[in-house]
Amino acid sequence: MNCEQCKEKISAFLDNELDEQIAAEMQTHLTLCADCAKVCEDFAIIIDFCVDDQFEEVDEPNSQALWCRINNIIETEVQPELESERKEKEARRGWFAGVFRHNLQLSFSQTLTAILGIALISSLLTVVGVKNFSRQNDELSSQTSVSETIFDKILGKFGLIETPQQARIRRIKEQQKAIDYWNQRVEVRRQNWNGKLRETFDRNLREIDQVVYDYNKILEKNPEDALTSEMLDSAMKEKMELLREFSEL
Amino acid sequence: MYWGLKNLNNLLTGRKTTILILTVVFFFASAVCETPAQKKFSKTYPASKNVRLQLVNRTGTVTVEGWEKDEVQISAYLEAPAANINPRNLSGTIYIDLVKENQGRNDVGNVNFKVKVPYTSFVDIETRMGNLSVSNVRGGLVRANISSEGDITLTNIAASAVSAENVIGDIFFDGVIQSGGNYRFTSTRGNINLRIPFNSSFRLVATAPSTRNIALGSFANATMSFAGNGRQIVGRVGDGSATITVTNHRGSIAFIRR
Repeated sequence: MNCEQCKEKISAFLDNELDEQIAAEMQTHLTLCADCAKVCEDFAIIIDFCVDDQFEEVDEPNSQALWCRINNIIETEVQPELESERKEKEARRGWFAGVFRHNLQLSFSQTLTAILGIALISSLLTVVGVKNFSRQNDELSSQTSVSETIFDKILGKFGLIETPQQARIRRIKEQQKAIDYWNQRVEVRRQNWNGKLRETFDRNLREIDQVVYDYNKILEKNPEDALTSEMLDSAMKEKMELLREFSEL
Repeated sequence: MYWGLKNLNNLLTGRKTTILILTVVFFFASAVCETPAQKKFSKTYPASKNVRLQLVNRTGTVTVEGWEKDEVQISAYLEAPAANINPRNLSGTIYIDLVKENQGRNDVGNVNFKVKVPYTSFVDIETRMGNLSVSNVRGGLVRANISSEGDITLTNIAASAVSAENVIGDIFFDGVIQSGGNYRFTSTRGNINLRIPFNSSFRLVATAPSTRNIALGSFANATMSFAGNGRQIVGRVGDGSATITVTNHRGSIAFIRR
C-alpha cells in the first residue's frame, strides 16, 4: 500500500469499515510511514472532538452588545492615529504657518522689510541664473565674448558667477589636458614619420606655440582683454587639432 | 721629347673621355633622383548632380574641378613608396581616406590628386600637408582643411557653406556670397584674400590680432566698428544675411571687389 491509497482509506479505517486484510495492510503502512501516521492521528483527534461536542448547545450571541464592543475598540484605536496625523501636517506647514497660527503680529516696517528682502533675494537669484545660462550659450556658440559689466564683477567677487578670467583659466586647463593626451600619441607615432613630415609638423607647432605665447603675454598685462582671450582659445583649439590629426598618421 | 708629348696627349684624351662619361652618368642619376617613381591611379564613378566627395589625403596636392558631366573622375599620382588607395562609393558619397588606409605604415609617398566632379557637388577635402585647390563648384558645401601647411585656392565658388583652414599658407577665395550662407576662413600665418562681387551682403567678423592688417576696400562702410584697437572689425554690408568670419592670427586679411 502506498501513501495515496492509505490517505484515501484513513476515514474508513478509523470507522472500522475496512476488510481485515486491508486494515492489516493499513496498520503495516502506518507503522512504517510517519507522515500517514500523523495524518491518521490528526483525523482521529478531529473525530473525537466532534463526537464529544456533538450535543453541546451554543448560545445565540447578543448582536447589539457585540457591535457596541467593536465600536469602542475601533474608536480607541483610531483616536491616537488622528492626533499624530494632525501633528505631522502642522510640522509640514513649517515655520511661517507656526508663526501665523500663533498670531504673531508684525509691524508695518517689519512687513515692508521682509517683502523687500524677499524681492531682493529672488531678483538676485534670477539674475545669477540668467547670467549663467547666457554664459553657457556663449561658450557653445563660440561667439565674441560678452564684456563684463560692473554687476558681473560684483557677482564674481561674491563667487556667485564665474568671471571671464576664471572661465578662461578653466578652459585652458581643459584644453591643456587634451593637448597633453594628443602630444603623447604624437610622440609615439612620429618615430614612423619621414624627415620632411617631422620638420613640417614641428614648424607648424612652433608657429602655433608662438601665437599662444604672445596671447598669454598680452593677457598677463591685461587679463580682461576679451578679444585676446577669445583668440587664445582659438589658437589652443588649432593646436589640439594639429596634434590630433598628426597622431592619426 | 716626342714620346713624352705623345704620352701626355693620350693621357689627356683618356681623361676627357672619363670626364664625359662621368658627366653623363651624373646627369641621368640626378634626373632619376629628382623625379621619384610615380604610379597612376584612375577611376570614374557615375554620380548624381549633388554627389558628395569626401577626400582625406596624407601629403600631396589636391585639385578638384567642377565639370558638366554627371560623373566623378579621380586621378591620383602616387609617389614611392606608393600609398594604398581604395575609393568607395556609398549612397551618393565618394569616400577616399588615405590616412585610415595607410595608418601604421612607416613611410608613404605624396599622393597628388586631380578630381573632376559635377558642378553642383558637395566637396569636403582635407590633407595633412600640401596645397588644396577647388574650382567651378556651386553645390551646397566646399570645405578645404589643411592640418599644417599649404595654400588653399578656391575659385569660381558659389556654395552656401564654405570653410577654409590652414596653419601656414595663403587662402584665396574668389566666389559668390550667397544669401544666408556661412563662410569661414582661418589661418595662423599667411594672407587671406577674398574676392567677392561688389553687391555681396553679409555680416562680418574679421580678426587679425598681430598685424591689424584688415583691408575692407570698397566694402568698408559706416556700420563697421573696430574692436581691440583695430585688431577686429565687426560690421554689416547690405542686408547682412550671410555670415563671413575671418581669423588670421599672424597675417593679413583683404577684401577685393570683383
